[in-house]
Parts: sequence; C-alpha cells; structure tokens
Amino acid sequence: MIKDLTTPLSEEAISQLKVGDVVTLTGYIYTGRDAVLPKIVKAAEEGTLKDLGIDLQGAVIFHTAVSPAGVGPTSSNKLEIECTFEPLSRHGVKMHLGKGSISKETVAALQENNAVFAIIPPVTALLGSQTVEQEIVAFPELGMEAFNRLKVVKYQAIIAAAKGESIYD
Amino acid sequence: MTNIREKVADCLVRAGSTFREDQKEAYRRAIADEANPQSCWVMQQVLDNALVAEQRRSPLCDDTGIPHLFLEVGKNRSVTGTMMQEIMEGVELGLRQLPGRPMAIMGDDYARIDQSGGLNPDSGALKPSPILIKPVDEDIIRLTILMLGGGPAIRGITQRVFHKHNVDVVIDEIVNRATPAVSQLGCSPCVLAVGIGRSQFEATSMMMEAMVFGDFSKQTEFEKKITEKVNEANIGPLGLGGKHSVLATFAKVGPQRASGVRIVALRPCCCFEPRRASVEL
Repeated sequence: MIKDLTTPLSEEAISQLKVGDVVTLTGYIYTGRDAVLPKIVKAAEEGTLKDLGIDLQGAVIFHTAVSPAGVGPTSSNKLEIECTFEPLSRHGVKMHLGKGSISKETVAALQENNAVFAIIPPVTALLGSQTVEQEIVAFPELGMEAFNRLKVVKYQAIIAAAKGESIYD
Repeated sequence: MTNIREKVADCLVRAGSTFREDQKEAYRRAIADEANPQSCWVMQQVLDNALVAEQRRSPLCDDTGIPHLFLEVGKNRSVTGTMMQEIMEGVELGLRQLPGRPMAIMGDDYARIDQSGGLNPDSGALKPSPILIKPVDEDIIRLTILMLGGGPAIRGITQRVFHKHNVDVVIDEIVNRATPAVSQLGCSPCVLAVGIGRSQFEATSMMMEAMVFGDFSKQTEFEKKITEKVNEANIGPLGLGGKHSVLATFAKVGPQRASGVRIVALRPCCCFEPRRASVEL
C-alpha cells in the first residue's frame, strides 16, 4: 500500500514510516547536491537560514540539480552530500531523497533525529509531469546546482533507511 | 535549415526521449517475472517514465548524455564535408530542442580537466564524441545517435583478458567485472554492452556497435550466459534486490589477434540505455 505524505512532514508521519514503504510526496520540497548542501549546513549552524528564506522544519531535500533537462537523483553517498544528513536532520529536515546506499553511521544519525532516507528512481520525465512550480531560493550563482524549491504532486519514493534500519542491510 | 539538420535534430530528440518497442517489452517481461515487489515498483516507474517522455518528447533522464554518432555508409554512397557539417549542426539543434542538460565545460585543457572554467549555459554547446563510420552492403547512409550518460561511463572497464583458449574464461571475467559495476551503478536494471577486439580502440568500437544494433528480443547464447550469471548476484533494480539486475547483454565480437589476449570493453548501461535512435540521410 502506498502512503501519501504532504510537506512539511510531521514528527508523527515520519515515525510511522518503515524501510520498504512506498510513499507519495506532495507539497514544497527543496533541492540541493554537493555544491550547495555544505553551504546550507553552514547557514543552519550559523543561524542565518531565515535570512536566506529557508525553513527546514519538516523539510524534504531532494539530491538533484535543476536544469532545463529536468530533475533526477544523484548519488546521495557522495561525501559532500552524505555528510549533510546529520546536521540537516538536526536542524529539522525529515526526509533526504536521493539514491544509493548510505553508511551505518548515517542511518544511525537519521534515527537519532527521527528522519528518513528515501530513494527516488531517476524518472525525469515522470517527475517533470509531477512538478508544478520551481524557484531558486539561495545561491543562484551555482546555476543548476543552486538551492531550489519545487512544488511537487505525488512524487513516488521508497523508504530506504528508517528507525536504524537500511534497505541495503 | 536543411533537411539533414532537421532529421539529425529529430533523431537526437528521439534518442533522448524514447524507448524502443523491444525495450518496453523487456521491461514488461521483467515486471511480470519479478517476485520482489520493490523491484517491480522500480521497473514500473522506469516504464511509466518512458511513456511520459515519449508523449512529451522530453528527456528520459536529467543526465541527457553525450551524443555519440555512428554512421553506416553504403558502397555507392558518399559522405561529404558539407554533410558532416550539417550532421554536427543537427546535433547542436537537437540538443537545444531536447533540451540537453547544459554540461559543456569551458576553458583550456587545464580548465576543462578541473572544471574551473565553468559550464556553458547553452545546451547546444556540448560537442559530440568522434564519429564512428562503418561501410555496409545496404544502399544507405544511416546515422545512429547514442546518448551516453555519466554513471555508466564511471563504471565502465576496458581491459585485457587472458583467454586460456577457453570462451568460458572470457565470460567469467566479464561477469566478474560486471557484477560490482552493476551494483555500484545505482540506476539499474541495466544492459551490459560488451565489445571484444584486438586493441582498446577496436574493443570500444565493437562495444559501440553492440549498443547500436543490440535487440532485447534477440539474445545469443553468449549474451544470455553473461546476463544470467550477473543476475545470480541478486542486486536488483536500484540495488533493491531481485533477479533482474540486467535485462540483456549486447555483445559484439570483432576480429581477434593471434595471441593469448583479448581486449574487452564493458559498459554497464543504465536503466534507460542504450538511448539510441537512427535516421537515414
């Protein structure tokens, strides 16, 4: 059975998810990958997210570039992406959306912060048909790797890490 | 705008946005045959994506790939410099129409290596790889465009195999190389493209030809054996488990050297590849 989720994600909604669940996501989500996510972490640690117009409470971060070709997940286990799971979860992010297996340490950090990792297939055309708005929120100088906000309708993903378990175990 | 430019542009858009019928059927067969529900879900998503991409003529994947060109030329046909120029202009036009992801790296040798020169924002600025030309008996000039993504390029391997005068030794080595490559690829189920030749260039050319002519519904015993052996690893689509990590193997065995060595080129193509389309010019 598919579980429908709407952003921002509540603590309760996340606590009910388990590895292997297929979910749909509707609402606003953020996008970022290796170039921008460390900058978002820095802003979060320095308390300047509000100045950038970013609210991470209950947020989803989709590891993708946003180009004229569309969106699609990059590997979440790239060093500069995976190292942002813990601090961003601590600052309110509830779902990290990408692909690939992540380390045991990252799975544990997600559990500590009641956050999850979900895998989304690289289905760019389908995602394009389910994306109704997109705008650059911060760091526009990074071009397609800027921090974007998308409004999405029923993106499908599978929960790959939750409650200390990983789908790759 | 010449006819050739338009034909080539249309061909590139089809290559980047369309599954062939044998490709769709391979997915349908795999979904029907797969017991793992998570793997079925992934493959259904990939198939649904292909149907939407075809309808919208939009990219299958946001990594739209680097155009690779394969030209078949009949013995009574001639290819001119003008035609080559028009093919290149057609590629440029097609990349803008798809649209391709802008990923042409600017600058001198050093800047292109370390990417310090930035990206050209024009999708059409992406240069295709060197063109491969093959003489054929048919009375045609046919261009095939392959759009080759970065993930498979990272995991591809071109290396020698000491064959010990036994085909199974070569097959086993291909399987040994392919299994971790498929596992690391991420965007699976995949197609294994294999070329065997006398040099790195020839093996890679054979691998290109395998991708140009490969058909999911026509698999040789050599190809089936590789597919079956890699699938025994139970990697599954996106690494989620299941028996369909590889949907097919496309292999081309070229002329071989009188020696104990075979050069094998291997590319674990992603779930959309080989993204290809052909047009007669």
